[in-house]
Amino acid sequence: MKKIIWILSFSATLLAMPFTTQAAGGPGIELEPAHNNLRDADSLQRGAVLFSNYCMACHSAKYIRYNRIARDIGWSDEQVIQQMAYGLNKVVDEVQTRMLPGVAMDVLGTEPPDLSLMARLKGTDYIYTFLRAYHQDENGNWDNTVLKGTSMPNVLEGIQRHASAEDYAQAARDIANFLEYVGEPAKMDRMDLGWKVIAFLLVLLLLTYVLKKEYWRDIKH
Amino acid sequence: MSYQDQPQTKRASLLSWLDRRYPIVSTWNEHVGEYYAPKNFNFWYFFGSLALLVLVNQFITGIWLTMSYKPSAAEAFNSIEYIMRDVEWGWLIRYMHSTGASAFFIVIYLHMMRGLLYGSYKEPRELVWILGMFLFLVLMAEAFMGYLLPWGQMSYWGAQVIISLFGAIPVIGPDLALWVRGDFVISDATLNRFFALHVIALPLVLIILVFMHIVALHKVGSNNPDGVEIKKYKNEAGLPIDGIPFHPYYSVKDSFGAVFFMIPFALIVFYWPEGGGFFLEPPNFEPANPLKTPEHIAPVWYFTPYYAILRAVPDKFLGVVAMGAAIAVLFAMPWLDRCKVKSIRYRGTSFKLLLTMFVVSFVVLGYLGTQPATPELTKLAQIFTVLYFAFFLVLPFTSVHEQTKPVPERVH
Repeated sequence: MKKIIWILSFSATLLAMPFTTQAAGGPGIELEPAHNNLRDADSLQRGAVLFSNYCMACHSAKYIRYNRIARDIGWSDEQVIQQMAYGLNKVVDEVQTRMLPGVAMDVLGTEPPDLSLMARLKGTDYIYTFLRAYHQDENGNWDNTVLKGTSMPNVLEGIQRHASAEDYAQAARDIANFLEYVGEPAKMDRMDLGWKVIAFLLVLLLLTYVLKKEYWRDIKH
Repeated sequence: MSYQDQPQTKRASLLSWLDRRYPIVSTWNEHVGEYYAPKNFNFWYFFGSLALLVLVNQFITGIWLTMSYKPSAAEAFNSIEYIMRDVEWGWLIRYMHSTGASAFFIVIYLHMMRGLLYGSYKEPRELVWILGMFLFLVLMAEAFMGYLLPWGQMSYWGAQVIISLFGAIPVIGPDLALWVRGDFVISDATLNRFFALHVIALPLVLIILVFMHIVALHKVGSNNPDGVEIKKYKNEAGLPIDGIPFHPYYSVKDSFGAVFFMIPFALIVFYWPEGGGFFLEPPNFEPANPLKTPEHIAPVWYFTPYYAILRAVPDKFLGVVAMGAAIAVLFAMPWLDRCKVKSIRYRGTSFKLLLTMFVVSFVVLGYLGTQPATPELTKLAQIFTVLYFAFFLVLPFTSVHEQTKPVPERVH
């Protein structure tokens, strides 16, 4: 028994080792917590619509297809095409920008990055903060405190001006939430499966412990 | 003949048919059924069988990943996302493989720590240790090459930094680096050869070395936490009094150990696969871009102690030499440690202090290797690099005159 306690405390120490999460923002940038919730299907659906209306003019999320989104966030195939693609795409299509090739280079001077994995690369806090970090100087020029000199315009300006502060924050949160889902569509699956696997392993642990005890009864120490 | 005997007889005759053609019974007995291991193994003795478990995990998940992975610069990154999204259970297979890589090093480092604690490298087990060191070396190469395959930013630039180290070798360096890469930069050619080495050549070497490691171990017999030889006291049948057959005693005990290990493993696979950016680094979610260097390049955590040593030395070539020496010097452990007493339980204070210093240096260097090299941190890395090597330099002198405690005749 003493041994078991020792082993448990040893592994607890290992798990408690100070694993610092690498900061995704640049040095000195305070990121606001997004407080998004992947289980909130309404938020994901709103986020998908916002993504389609405000992001897809320039950005793609090429690693996901419309029908996968529909299946995962509670839409039918017809709904997803209506909500996200104005009825123009097939459900098996990947989520591609509506911007024609080459236009971005001419207009913005850069290729807007694909957003499929942005949440895994930078984190949802970064996306949430970035979307809300636009400000205008006295000459009316826009800039972003998170990513200085970004070519991306303040796409949420309309919401920022005309909606309440809460609704504006919620819009950014919904987009961050949707992008977290897009970053790893299987995330909810693994979280739902994980505890069952661990529960099974705990039962197996008990059985192997009893088996070991039984076999070792005749060994004198 | 009663009907109960009949199936047994049939089984026995099948076995004897096999045994006349293949040494099935003697092999089983020598390595499992009648392999006598000391009865006093503790917690530290789980890590050998756990290393084998993780190896099998890497093999099986690796084979399944290969079925959907495409080893080309144009397709590699896409194919990983294809595995994560479109392949049935692809995410699980991939996370088991990526988590398995880190788990492998945790298990191996603890396995080696066990060897240092109980003097398992000492006579007559020098070859067991050396074969194990070769395994460690090949494992590092295997992990390094596997890390390029996802073709993310950190894959690309990590490989760039490490391969450029070859370039620091005088005279032949630049040509050698070119030869390793197969191109002037890390490219499709590099990815293809790393894939070949990662999935065929190095696993083959690993299997052969694991086989030899176990054969060598079973020839000399296992050490134990008391560091005494159980073969000294045998009963009338010629079997060690303090030994017990590996099967069933240690097969059931190791089953418990395996399940015990699988619980934190599953916790990470299902709830923390990025490992806080240590198991899967965030920049690797961006495809490799030869024109854009990441702000901070750090190797995966299991290489960071050596990376810190590399950076601690101001001269690049000498840094490479120091990094190589940090690993190479471990091969010499059986001869650097000249104390006759094996287990730390009966060794003197000097060894306990030295070993503590070594472990602390290793952990601190590991931390420093993850951090950007500021002048203060580099100073710190230099101090701990000196302490790391001091362990090996001081040990030969202190271990001769060590004040040891009396070693018991038999295991406790």
